[in-house]
Amino acid sequence: MKEFALYAGCTTPVRLPAYEASVTKVLEKLGVKLIPMKDVNCCGAQYIESVSHTAFAAMSGRILAIAESMGRDILAICGACSGSLKIVKHELDNDEKLRAEVNALLEDEGLKYTGTVEVKHLLQVFREDIGYDAIKAAIVKPYNGVRLAAHYGCHVLRPPEIVHVDDPENPTIIDRIVEIAGGVAVDYTGKTRCCGGPMLGIDEELAGKIGTDKIDNIRAANVDGIITACGFCDIQLTQVQFGDGTEGKERIPVLQLTQFLGTALGIDAEALGISLNKISPEHILAMQ
Amino acid sequence: MDEAKTAANTHVPSSSFAKEIEAEPGGEDIAKCIQCGMCTASCMVASVTDKYRPRKLIQMILLGLREEVLSSDLPWLCMTCRMCEERCQEDVNLAEIFHAVREIAAREGHIPPAFKNAIDVVLKDGWMLEDAYSDFIEDDRDDLGLDTELSWNKKFVAKLKKKYFKGESTK
Repeated sequence: MKEFALYAGCTTPVRLPAYEASVTKVLEKLGVKLIPMKDVNCCGAQYIESVSHTAFAAMSGRILAIAESMGRDILAICGACSGSLKIVKHELDNDEKLRAEVNALLEDEGLKYTGTVEVKHLLQVFREDIGYDAIKAAIVKPYNGVRLAAHYGCHVLRPPEIVHVDDPENPTIIDRIVEIAGGVAVDYTGKTRCCGGPMLGIDEELAGKIGTDKIDNIRAANVDGIITACGFCDIQLTQVQFGDGTEGKERIPVLQLTQFLGTALGIDAEALGISLNKISPEHILAMQ
Repeated sequence: MDEAKTAANTHVPSSSFAKEIEAEPGGEDIAKCIQCGMCTASCMVASVTDKYRPRKLIQMILLGLREEVLSSDLPWLCMTCRMCEERCQEDVNLAEIFHAVREIAAREGHIPPAFKNAIDVVLKDGWMLEDAYSDFIEDDRDDLGLDTELSWNKKFVAKLKKKYFKGESTK
């Protein structure tokens, strides 16, 4: 059984534990075991990253070094975390001076970054380690034509030359899995645009406008739900549907890819935490 | 003569600030910008507010408006979604350039309060959401069969704080 060290990040374990649980259960069903990382720190995305590049490299570098000590590649399930870890890995692999500085900071813990581990986002594990054929073979409870809009997440896809997940202009991994599970992958205007999540801590009003623009575009495509593969995007696309000006509008459920796929693999909805979703996806699950 | 001050006051084109950005990690590619505006056309932030235009912000750097840029909130409004970078024909990495600007601004004491608060939390707790982790969420995790002990490391950020965040940026 293939094993990964799971780096769940700050946001998912607290704001979206159902994502963490559904990832663990779905991957196990598909032959991938996750070992939660212990004694880790925040990857440094956005905030530390903005004010001290070296401290940022040290924070993500320490996570990479811990994975090395576990002898496992990292699975990151949040867009921001997977992006940070991959960018820092790229820098540490190409900048000896930075690597030496980070390793000096890690030395007293007995940790060292040497570059032996890979970092993968969830979507890569589905495509590269499990494969579409194996997913297809494991479907026991297919959907019947449910219409779904995929939202990939900016930091999952870009910069493509470093993250290596999917085509940044025309991503297909979520759409393919939606179709394999019996759904209809629906295209919509601005599919690869940001959800506005990174703006939340800075200017909530702007974040709301950006998220609402995304929801309006998705609504125009007449879908039953939205499928994401980033905790932060899920939270943002859900909460903008509860803000000012949303009264009277029908809310579009946001499901994690692993929740959507999990029920099709025969995993109990309760075990996938679906009852914790703020917008009930009942009508999606009813189409199985 | 205080070149930066003169530039900020008179808007005389100057490349000294652009050279300073070029020397920062991430800022290397700024001189490639041809001011075509593809970045602004691609930007979701620019689409919802008139105050933020990535092309103009790059132009301000190229013109050497150092103080104006460093004391402004504009470099902090980039979501680093990198849609502009994906579209840029000249391979200008705007998110990286704005990170370089932020790093210089931070050294000189200009950090927007929202960033400052988040940075202080991470450097204290080792992660973002210690205060938000309630008993209710712990119960949810337990019900889902997940570890309730999140075991974040605080020592390493304390070390980083001491080494990299002296003075202004972490009062």
